[in-house]
Amino acid sequence: MIRELNTRFGRENIGFLWVMVEPLLFAGLVAITWRAMKGPEEHGVDIIVFVISGYIPLTLFRHAVTRCIKVFEVNSSLLYHRQITIFDFLIVRFLIEMIGAMLAFTFIATVLHFFGLFPAPKSMGFLLAGWLLYSIFTLSLCLIIAPLSEFSEVLEKVLPVATYIMIPFSGTFNMVEWLPAAARPYMLWSPFVSAMEMIRYGLFGDAVYPYYDVSVVLVVAMICSAIGLALCRRVRRRLTVE
Amino acid sequence: MIICKDVHKFYPLGHGQKHVLKGINMTVGRGERIGLLGRNGSGKSTLIKLLGGVELPTSGRVERGMTLSWPLGFTGGFQGALTGYDNARFISRIYGREYTELRDFVEDFSELGVQLKMPVKTYSSGMRARLAFALSLAIEFECYLIDEVIMVGDQDFQRKCHYQLFDKRADRSLILASHSPEIIRSYCNRAVVLHEGTGTVFDDIDRALECYDML
Repeated sequence: MIRELNTRFGRENIGFLWVMVEPLLFAGLVAITWRAMKGPEEHGVDIIVFVISGYIPLTLFRHAVTRCIKVFEVNSSLLYHRQITIFDFLIVRFLIEMIGAMLAFTFIATVLHFFGLFPAPKSMGFLLAGWLLYSIFTLSLCLIIAPLSEFSEVLEKVLPVATYIMIPFSGTFNMVEWLPAAARPYMLWSPFVSAMEMIRYGLFGDAVYPYYDVSVVLVVAMICSAIGLALCRRVRRRLTVE
Repeated sequence: MIICKDVHKFYPLGHGQKHVLKGINMTVGRGERIGLLGRNGSGKSTLIKLLGGVELPTSGRVERGMTLSWPLGFTGGFQGALTGYDNARFISRIYGREYTELRDFVEDFSELGVQLKMPVKTYSSGMRARLAFALSLAIEFECYLIDEVIMVGDQDFQRKCHYQLFDKRADRSLILASHSPEIIRSYCNRAVVLHEGTGTVFDDIDRALECYDML
């Protein structure tokens, strides 16, 4: 059933490719700027690869979170059919963003690899595991943000700012290794950091030394999902459908 | 059998709450045709939505022992941006019907022709009514939930609906919200009068209409 909804969205969005192109453009431009500002390498890794590998997961998070605002209200007319639950809305939107981001990543990596600018991943397992954790955590956050956005208008306004502020704590443009040893354990409290470190390690191999803690990511994601599911239940009871 | 047990519904109203339904109890058996009577704002549409599971009651239970259509009205159940055909395909998928059969029935019953290739949001209310009825008849529900406003079709369409719902599907149940005595009389064999959040069940249509006139 989710797949059916998915195809429906697919047909609605004639330019499904846009989902992929937007992160590509962003990541590409940001990478070029950084390249121009800071030179070809930083801390021994290629800066273009570094920025791209950080930026695309970040766009996944940003888009997924923005797209889930008011998702219930917007899609509520579909609730006329009892087979469709509010979770379908969330999951479908999230999957579209996830597929888009992953396609973008694969695409840019392949193209750059062709020109010798992007390394073959040293460890595919770590790369995929990092992506997976990143996605799981993002989805669990969406489960909370979507119902909250129905309760409060403020959230909608605050969220873009919040996503900017969290960039330093997301591991997008820095690695834990570069921090003073004392600060490192604190960064691992952010699930994004763990996931990013794994993605980086999968790409660069031993050129970087990753710090990550899978259990923290999973536990935080589970707690967020539990809260989110409870909030979703509340929202469903109160949802008014035109 | 559809059973409503002490169904309450509150809507937020400014800082307070509006108590729209104050404990509705009713049962709908197989083949029963219930008319929901009530003034504007008495909660007819709300009750229909709760029965159809579109919204959930604040307290109380709705048990559905037979397959129930989605509430047939102008807005619900369609994606305005999609064409009539796309909506038909979507509905055939989620209700697990063969798309080609559904499409043939919809083309035949709705007589919308090329309009089916246009987005539903461009349809007039009569056209939406045709599409909604065509789709729900094609799914073959055991009970149909109908908001009266949709009975706006022309003579030919009214006749077709009557034929499909009564002659071909005499065993089906029907729940019809209306404030028109003629429609209730011609379609229903029991009635519920909604007034100030409570519902009174009448087994005799004429008594129900009398009561409704007194309001």
